[in-house]
Amino acid sequence: MKEKIAEYFFLICSLISIGAVALICFFIFRGAYPAVQTVGLWPFLTGGLWKPTDIPPLFGIFNMIVGSVYVTAGACLIGVPVGVFTAVYMAKYCPQKIYAGMSQLVSLLAGIPSIIYGFFGMMLIVPFIADNFSGNGNSVLAASIVLGVMVLPTIIKVSEVSLKAVPKTYYEGALALGATKEQSIFFVLIPAAKSGILTGIVLGIGRAIGETMAVVMVAGNANILPETIFKSVRTLTANIVLEMGYASGTHFDAIVATGAVLFVFILLLNLVLGVINKGSKTAGT
Amino acid sequence: MEKILYFVFAAGVSLFFNVSCGGNVNNEITVISREESSGTRGAFDELIKISDGKINMLFREAIIVSSTDEAAFKTEVDKRAIAYTSIGSVTGKIKTLAVDGVEANEENVKRGAYKIFRPFVAGVPGSGSSPLARDFISYLVSRQGQKIVVTAGYIAPNDEASVYSASGLAGKLTLSGSTSVEKIMERLKEEYVKFNPDVKVEINYTGSTAGIKDCLSGKSNIVMSSRAFKADEKEKLEGYAFALDAIAVIVNKNNPIDEISSEMVTKIFKGEIRSWSDVK
Amino acid sequence: MASRKNVFSIILKVFVYLAMGVTVLSLAGILSYILVNGVKTFKWSLIFGKFSSQNPSMSFAIVTTCVTIFLTLLMAAPLSVFCAVYLTEYAKRGSKIVRYVRLATETLAGIPSIVFGLFGAIFFGTVLGFGYSILTGCFTVAIMLLPVIIRQTEEAIKAVPDLYREGSYGLGASKLRTVFKIVVPSAAPGIVSAIILSMGRIIGETAALIFTLGSVAQLPGSLLDSSRTLAVHMYIATRDGGAAGREVAFLTGTVLVFIIFLMNVAASYIGGKVGKDFEN
Repeated sequence: MKEKIAEYFFLICSLISIGAVALICFFIFRGAYPAVQTVGLWPFLTGGLWKPTDIPPLFGIFNMIVGSVYVTAGACLIGVPVGVFTAVYMAKYCPQKIYAGMSQLVSLLAGIPSIIYGFFGMMLIVPFIADNFSGNGNSVLAASIVLGVMVLPTIIKVSEVSLKAVPKTYYEGALALGATKEQSIFFVLIPAAKSGILTGIVLGIGRAIGETMAVVMVAGNANILPETIFKSVRTLTANIVLEMGYASGTHFDAIVATGAVLFVFILLLNLVLGVINKGSKTAGT
Repeated sequence: MEKILYFVFAAGVSLFFNVSCGGNVNNEITVISREESSGTRGAFDELIKISDGKINMLFREAIIVSSTDEAAFKTEVDKRAIAYTSIGSVTGKIKTLAVDGVEANEENVKRGAYKIFRPFVAGVPGSGSSPLARDFISYLVSRQGQKIVVTAGYIAPNDEASVYSASGLAGKLTLSGSTSVEKIMERLKEEYVKFNPDVKVEINYTGSTAGIKDCLSGKSNIVMSSRAFKADEKEKLEGYAFALDAIAVIVNKNNPIDEISSEMVTKIFKGEIRSWSDVK
Repeated sequence: MASRKNVFSIILKVFVYLAMGVTVLSLAGILSYILVNGVKTFKWSLIFGKFSSQNPSMSFAIVTTCVTIFLTLLMAAPLSVFCAVYLTEYAKRGSKIVRYVRLATETLAGIPSIVFGLFGAIFFGTVLGFGYSILTGCFTVAIMLLPVIIRQTEEAIKAVPDLYREGSYGLGASKLRTVFKIVVPSAAPGIVSAIILSMGRIIGETAALIFTLGSVAQLPGSLLDSSRTLAVHMYIATRDGGAAGREVAFLTGTVLVFIIFLMNVAASYIGGKVGKDFEN
């Protein structure tokens, strides 16, 4: 009897996370619905003008969707090569002596609050770009650099684990066949750890697209389609955090709808993640 | 494979040199504004005619920040920036411009020479407001309250205010509204609580418009607005202006200009003038 | 051919070391910038002094941070551990429930904190009527932490050798007894390190908290009061702090980095014990 009660109790605890997801979906999409109804789904998604205080108000988030994509892509361009190569260093080059220090360092990088990254970016990276390149520094580039550093720990950790999970025989076999260390790593080890590395990258993309506080401090937040990487950009997350406190009525609903779009992006990413993991399982058997 | 890598490497190097040797001789103005529906922006846009009450014509590439202090931060680190901020947020690290030859200071606001200012208004619902809320407001506009306003760097609208004496009331008072009012309101709250130790004052800085909404829905007792109430809001709320705040036009310390005409400000913020060399 | 092979290998090796250098340097850059400035502006009164508009001390934020951590973990930790116990010890491998729960936790793990903030403000704040309060903030962050703790607890429990369970059953212990007397205690270091890491998450969180916990600068009197955690305090300091705000931001940042560092060390020290226990 006691056993059964305990089991059901544990089951209920497990179901809470499902309940939480359901609640979040319900309230975000329900909150978004009035805005979509007033503005129309298509104008909302493809409109280039966001003027909530004009009469009549305009709510179009196309530029922000593109902005989020640009900034995330930029973060990947910086974060993925650096992250994957650092993971290779951690897995295959790092001397035993400094390994503990290095992994502690990566954890610290993951733990630093995003607000600190944003502050650093605002005080140093933005003026640096303004002084050395064109534009005023509040730009796609600044946001990409800050986010690129922020996604590093995610990519490094996941990639390192999957590199280490590749059976030793692969690597040693390649060496025995006369390949150099680098060839063995890049043509044998990395392809074998491909799905793990991809998972790390997708998780990194998730972190980049959802990051808020750091981006809002360095991206400039102008609602335009940036033509170059030195132009300002507003992401979906920035739009929410900038205006949520102030918004009321349809404006507030439109902010929630912005969150809903972001949520859909994350769901799509999870889907991609599922496909990658499924692929790896079939490859493994 | 190797060829691809060599190519990527070469492309990267050449891109780097192209960009960095392109140099930076431009003199492009960095326009910094606030998010839509900020009280400061609402007042500024109206006063310098960026907005005609219906359509907002702010330069589309303007940098948007979420507070007056962030505007000051960004101006401090950007040599080509122009922004506007509450006079209380002006520090020694940025330069305030005289507009049409008039400095932004108390005297000029009071005699009506400096036109870009707005009131800080404390409002209560016209009906059903608590005695505690009214007592707090009577402190704000009293001689003691006005003195705090002046020491905080703002302008007291009320020169001949009466003296406030402790009411002996107790309870919890919730305020919500403009972020611009924060610096002054924290001090006023501290002093008020010294008079009435049994009162607990809680302040949420959510923005003027949201504050009005909170106050009307009963979420808070008093709204602090950094702009005058609009016509429809005046019907439902009783407002008391307890401070005047000049909105200063600010630029970087290294900017050579010291004064600017109001038409020029309008043109810059509309994006019609893009270079400092065109600013006279 | 041999030389080309070597050149290529050398280039790759250079890239590997370059990447490592970039990682180390970016961390070193951020840390030294924050720490150097933090030490420069160091004042005990800013850490432990009483908060006022003249001395924007972080003492109240430290208290709020501790309260938030305690309450959030009180909600999230038992739930997550029980969930992990169910997934690993009770559910049949590959059963539908396991699949759905895993899908749900993965979704939760991916949701950006700002969306949690939106949800928390709407659901706990408005629908349940908690407003801006510690309770709203804790509920919101507790949901965020579920996937973090569940996943790591699962790993820790899975690492407990089956031998332990079989031994316990062999001695006639019931399943419940085996789980709580043998499995969970053996996995305890892993669970504790998961909890410590999630404490770091709470400490660093801003986006989910500003619209749920609010940003009132006060020592919270009850769970329905609004206040600030350290990270929110830092954000508000950069936003509305004026010239003094920067000092506060640097110092708060330094304190934050210091705490996070200690927690990481503690987590890896405790977590590191798990593997060693089972190795012999």
